[in-house]
Amino acid sequence: MSNVQGALAKLASYRAKNTRESRQTFETGLLVLKSGKTSGLGDEEWSFYEQLILSALDIGRIDVADQCLTKLSVKFPESPRVDVLNGIRMEATESPEKVLAYYDHLMKIDPANVSAWRRRVSVLRRLGRLDKAVEELNELLDTVYTDSEGWLELADMYSLCNQYPSALQALSHALLLSPQNPFTFLQFAETAYTSGDLPLALKMYLVVIEMNDSEDADAIPLGISVRAWWGAKLCTRQLVLSSSYHGSPSNTPVPKNLALLDELATERVLTAYSGEKGVQTRSLVSGWMSGR
Amino acid sequence: MASYEVAPEAYYKIYFHAAKHPHKPVNGVLLGTQNPPRSGVVKIVDSVPLLHHWTSLSPMMEIGLDLAIQHAENERLQVVGYYQACERLDEVVLAPVGERVASKVQEKFEDAIAFVVDGQKLGSSESALVPYLPLPSTNDWRPASDAQQPFTPSSRFQLQSSGSPAEAARLVNEVNQQFAFGDFDDHLEDVTIDWLRNRACLP
Repeated sequence: MSNVQGALAKLASYRAKNTRESRQTFETGLLVLKSGKTSGLGDEEWSFYEQLILSALDIGRIDVADQCLTKLSVKFPESPRVDVLNGIRMEATESPEKVLAYYDHLMKIDPANVSAWRRRVSVLRRLGRLDKAVEELNELLDTVYTDSEGWLELADMYSLCNQYPSALQALSHALLLSPQNPFTFLQFAETAYTSGDLPLALKMYLVVIEMNDSEDADAIPLGISVRAWWGAKLCTRQLVLSSSYHGSPSNTPVPKNLALLDELATERVLTAYSGEKGVQTRSLVSGWMSGR
Repeated sequence: MASYEVAPEAYYKIYFHAAKHPHKPVNGVLLGTQNPPRSGVVKIVDSVPLLHHWTSLSPMMEIGLDLAIQHAENERLQVVGYYQACERLDEVVLAPVGERVASKVQEKFEDAIAFVVDGQKLGSSESALVPYLPLPSTNDWRPASDAQQPFTPSSRFQLQSSGSPAEAARLVNEVNQQFAFGDFDDHLEDVTIDWLRNRACLP
């Protein structure tokens, strides 16, 4: 039954990419569930249920989530992972206090249950108790330093409160842990820009571009490079205008070849819009380039 | 005190933006006209979606805002306001970033308005928009404190068509129109996405 095969392949790809397209995931997963062909999945069966639970909860189909959760509880009694899933299911209907107490309880049984701790932080954040969420996340990261997603989340929460130096600090930890991830550098660049440190932002945007440098110099920039070149240009054009920039809190120097960089960034962004369909916005973009 | 009227297309696009990213905050700007300037009704005829990613960070917001302003001028419109939707149903406040953008819009358009989407009202037949206006001579934005509830008869905040909320909900639930819709963040990943016009998602 190729429908089910196709569905399974799609779901596997979502899991690999950590995609959160809950409505599509749910509909695809439900198809598989209803086909009755889950027992042939082998070990994948359990990841499939987990995925379906999360997407079902996201769109409010608690009935389906409960159905799958029961199967997992039977197969894996006393599993910390299933316990946390149970907590997430509780989050959909129970009071926050009850949920927080439940995660507390899980952490007492098993202090190594970092997922439960992360869920606590997530619930606190959702309740608007940012101070407490930041405090607990800091504690968590003190204990489990290698949680790079945790550092990203912390940076995000600090940015939300306009605490950019702290956000940048958290991002530096994330960078140490995942130095191959251009998105972390991108978040760093954008945070640096927001905090007013243009030379630092520019430096980081250029790192993103370098990391993505799979094409030749004349190719049309794609994907993350487009965003990074836009960001670089945003920085260079302001730096070019203020001939003596003394404002970098991180003491990052302005690049010596600033004018050239500015020209290059302009050219790269415009080239991104030179494809057949990109052309419709091109005049708007070149207007921006020559403005201010 | 200015009056405001929201056209269906503007309402749909705000709704689609929120519906497309239910677990993230989203924001964008409002385009419209005011004739005569400073005293006429502010007609909000369109909206341009900006971000759903890193909404607390400013660089792409700045570029997007600049481009939206230029686009508005090309269409003989002005940027007249800002909107945001929070991923939390119970949060209906204007975020600090929102206040900054709204204030920037106000520098060019005195009767600028900000709408915060009330998540609880999405899907209902009531307008989900909560109007925020600045306290005089400040950058402090507060919910409009009129005696009449916004979007009720005799309020100065009106929907051009009272059926817009229900129709928006129908377009999302039955037709999934929010997937034919893209914002500036999407555009940065694929420059062919027409975030300024988003014609494809409109009925």
